[in-house]
Amino acid sequence: MTILLALLLLLTAAAGAGIVLSRDPRRQILAIAGNGLALTLLFSALQAPDVAFSELAVGTAALPLLFLVALVSVRTDRKSDL
Amino acid sequence: MNRIARLTLFAVSMLVLTAATIVVATHMPTFGSHPLPYGDAVNSLVPPARHISNMVSAVNFDVRGLDTLGEEFMLVCAVTGTVVLLRGTRGEQLTSRPAGMHGRLNAPRSDAQVLTGRLLGPLILLFGLYVVVHATVTPGGGFQGGVIIGSGLLLLYLCEEYRTWRWFMRSRWLNACEGGGALVFVLAGLAPMCQGAHFLQNVMPLGEFRDLLSGGLMQIVNAGVACAVLGGFALVFLEFLEETREPRDEA
Amino acid sequence: MIALLPWLVAAWLLGIGLYGIVTSRNYIHLIGCLNVVQSATYVILLCVGYRWNAGPPIFDPHPPGTPAVDPVVQALVLTDIVIGATVAALLLALAVQLHKRKGTLDPEALRPMR
Repeated sequence: MTILLALLLLLTAAAGAGIVLSRDPRRQILAIAGNGLALTLLFSALQAPDVAFSELAVGTAALPLLFLVALVSVRTDRKSDL
Repeated sequence: MNRIARLTLFAVSMLVLTAATIVVATHMPTFGSHPLPYGDAVNSLVPPARHISNMVSAVNFDVRGLDTLGEEFMLVCAVTGTVVLLRGTRGEQLTSRPAGMHGRLNAPRSDAQVLTGRLLGPLILLFGLYVVVHATVTPGGGFQGGVIIGSGLLLLYLCEEYRTWRWFMRSRWLNACEGGGALVFVLAGLAPMCQGAHFLQNVMPLGEFRDLLSGGLMQIVNAGVACAVLGGFALVFLEFLEETREPRDEA
Repeated sequence: MIALLPWLVAAWLLGIGLYGIVTSRNYIHLIGCLNVVQSATYVILLCVGYRWNAGPPIFDPHPPGTPAVDPVVQALVLTDIVIGATVAALLLALAVQLHKRKGTLDPEALRPMR
């Protein structure tokens, strides 16, 4: 087990924890983008360029934009939501 | 169930998961040193048989093409569900006209923003097209290229005004793009059966190795998947952004 | 112990994603935690198909015959990532509709229909 793979696996675990522990949806969007980036690095180190490409396009661009647009539709600046 | 019961059940299941993880992890094959028979078979048999160099695309569109057809229909169903949920309760008569944006804080776009979008947007769309077309040669394919083109269309929203963006994003074209992509996939599967071959069997000329036009039927399937993914993502973005318009007073 | 790290990280992601789903107070936050659970499956699939000192399964500069990792699991994960994002979009549409009907996104405040 090389040092690089071990560090990237730990970074992925930390990024996943970061998504769960950011309770505010507006802050969670950046955590999702960070998780996408960490997964992209891990997939590149595991010799999977196609998968890294797909995760980069989806996890850092499409998915946070989707969440952001959903939040705009919901307008969670009311006091009833967290 | 109330909160205490839910948390208790979760704690018990986490104990079971921890125990099971330790048992399974010690019995898993060693990381990186165990035989991969299916992967080795694909890596050695597919390049001379199909004349392509991207094994992942070969597995997606040719060797396990039927699974990708199922995934394609999962995508179509999810997008259809989203559109029905959002458009169905909003009403059809609002979607083809850009609405007046009463009560929405809408600062006009700055010149730098518009210029950046107009420079970068076409470049991103061209790059997405490049990724789609080079499915059989370099890392890429319909799935990745479709998502890149969909994100490029959203970049155009960020840099143009809502009215301008809505003016050139036609729902009908996106519907046709998405449904047409899935239809192309199914027809490309049925066409070999007219010649007596199996469903989705590669009966087209295979081309040269590492050429752009290699792989035969895989190119058509790849194009269909790219259209479906790009249509699906753009449609989902469009439906969510349509939600942000204030409903006009029905006179 | 370090050699077990991929499987442990996958189990950790699954566990913490489930913790987020169980203790969430906002449905949109819950959909993000579902994304974490999905990434656990990506990690475990790709780590099963890895091989030391092998290259990617794309024979562009180097000829076919060089040692390469497993392309079958990569194909599985590739389609799964895109479809997962689309299913997340469907769930977000459900959350938006829920907010329109009930005015809140808190799972604790919403009771199931009898």
